Amino acid sequence: MAKVLVIADIKEGVLKGSTAELLSKAKAIGAETAVVAIGSKIEPLTPELVGVGSDTQYIADDPGLELFSAGPYASCVVDAAKQFGADLIWFGFSESGKAAAPRVAVKLEAACATEITDVEIHEEQIEVIRPAITNKVMQRVKLNTPQLVAVVRAGAFEATEGITGTENVVKLSPPAPDLKAVIKELISDASGEIDLAEADIVVSVGRGVKDQAGVDLVKELANDLKAGFGSSRAMVDGGFMAHNKQVGQTGKIVAPSLYMAIGISGAIQHLAGMNGSKVVLAVNKDPEAPIFNVADYGIVGDLFEVVPILRDEINKIRT
Amino acid sequence: MKILTTVKKVVDVELTIRVENGAIIEDGLQYVTNAWDENAVETAVQLKENNGAETTLVSIGGGDNTDVIRRCYAMGIENGIHIEDPALDKADSSVTAKVLQKVYETGDYDLVITGKQAQDTDSGQTGIILAEYLGLPCVSNVIALEVVDDQHIRVSRAGDGGTEIVEVALPAVITVDVSINEPRLPAMRGVMMAKKKKINVMDLATLGISSDDISGAGPRSEIVEFMASQTRQGGRKFEGDAAEITAQVVNLLANEAKVL
Repeated sequence: MAKVLVIADIKEGVLKGSTAELLSKAKAIGAETAVVAIGSKIEPLTPELVGVGSDTQYIADDPGLELFSAGPYASCVVDAAKQFGADLIWFGFSESGKAAAPRVAVKLEAACATEITDVEIHEEQIEVIRPAITNKVMQRVKLNTPQLVAVVRAGAFEATEGITGTENVVKLSPPAPDLKAVIKELISDASGEIDLAEADIVVSVGRGVKDQAGVDLVKELANDLKAGFGSSRAMVDGGFMAHNKQVGQTGKIVAPSLYMAIGISGAIQHLAGMNGSKVVLAVNKDPEAPIFNVADYGIVGDLFEVVPILRDEINKIRT
Repeated sequence: MKILTTVKKVVDVELTIRVENGAIIEDGLQYVTNAWDENAVETAVQLKENNGAETTLVSIGGGDNTDVIRRCYAMGIENGIHIEDPALDKADSSVTAKVLQKVYETGDYDLVITGKQAQDTDSGQTGIILAEYLGLPCVSNVIALEVVDDQHIRVSRAGDGGTEIVEVALPAVITVDVSINEPRLPAMRGVMMAKKKKINVMDLATLGISSDDISGAGPRSEIVEFMASQTRQGGRKFEGDAAEITAQVVNLLANEAKVL
């Protein structure tokens, strides 16, 4: 039986949905499951980690792990992987995962694959499916090592209802700090905002909203919907939206039930970040905008006129 | 400060890419400098201009890379190395990092700057693996950089919880995001000068790597086949009176798509 170690995705002390998704997939392929949780004051998450389907919980809880540092983070994963005898080591789609996975792979002399959307195990041979070339093609990749370290693309696996695990806690010793790359400070995202990666609805703005007033107009729609509020690269470069709001190949990959692209033309780098969305609505005044080629519903019109109507109509239907 | 940047020649993602029988159809493809690598080059050139640095680029594979390397010269890079060897045809991130390790060790560099990923593989591993092989500190997804002193840089990294400020002891490896800077367009004078500059082309033997070193390193992963991407299909597009069509679309989102 394959052994899958999932790295718990924890942000501001909250366990994120990818952990349940990855553990569900591991159970679905009949694997023995373990989770490794890394951070400070995270031990109280243990019952939740069991609840999402882990049979062993490796816990690295130390004040030195409060701020992310890739080296020590990777050391904790390596420690857990060795103790567990993991064949497959899965990170959820996150910046910490992308930074740590290659380090873990080197230390374990294992293959590493990022952005995987599926995994197949034939006898001893592991293969993964992943997008490449800015999502324009898919690749089937064969791994030449018995172990695989992978970062799973957002939205690739679904959480199964009613799954559960067994409590078996193993405490890990704190890793040595990285003295050559010292994290001095974390300039936090505005906390309390809805996490783009977790949101069921994402509303994003592009160049078409023009300025801060346009951004604010669309933000009201996002607030009404309790939606994540994202952006194309143009609005980030223009200084209107924070870097961590950027949806696209170089930013966040999102896969919500509904994605609303407001004033976004649809450059392929942006499309690569949202094409896993279930339903896409686009509002753009240019009927030829490429975003309409991927939108299930397209409204051709002036967003300054359309967005307030959109809010009204949605509020009507929801009350 | 001696800086090494890496530059990869990659397929132009703006063009249509077709797949047939598990392979990408080469006909009609064009090749360009990897976008993130242009940011790495710009970072190096700015360090040269503002702090004084010697800049070298290395490019691996890609056939005739003269155009890509000369473009980087025209942007301000001083030295160029091109490693070309049939043994590297199936190189994955770990093999590429092994070759870069050898290049690094021949040059006494203080800082390696790579793009955070290449737009053909979208893997984002090579720079990080290189740092592990070299035992150097590494910060990935860097969006700002300043020099503290001869031995330290301070970088901003776009992390999960916000912007992480990290002080890094040199020598080190950083991988940069596109938002770190706006790569300059080479000036005409630079382009003319670049044509005269030498490119140091080497194969693995010249670099001092045997094929055993490569097979020992991997490749740990091999692409078995390419498949067409499941592209989204466009649906219905509504034009006309804004109030009318918007109400219609909201109704469809609620009752047909059932997402509201």
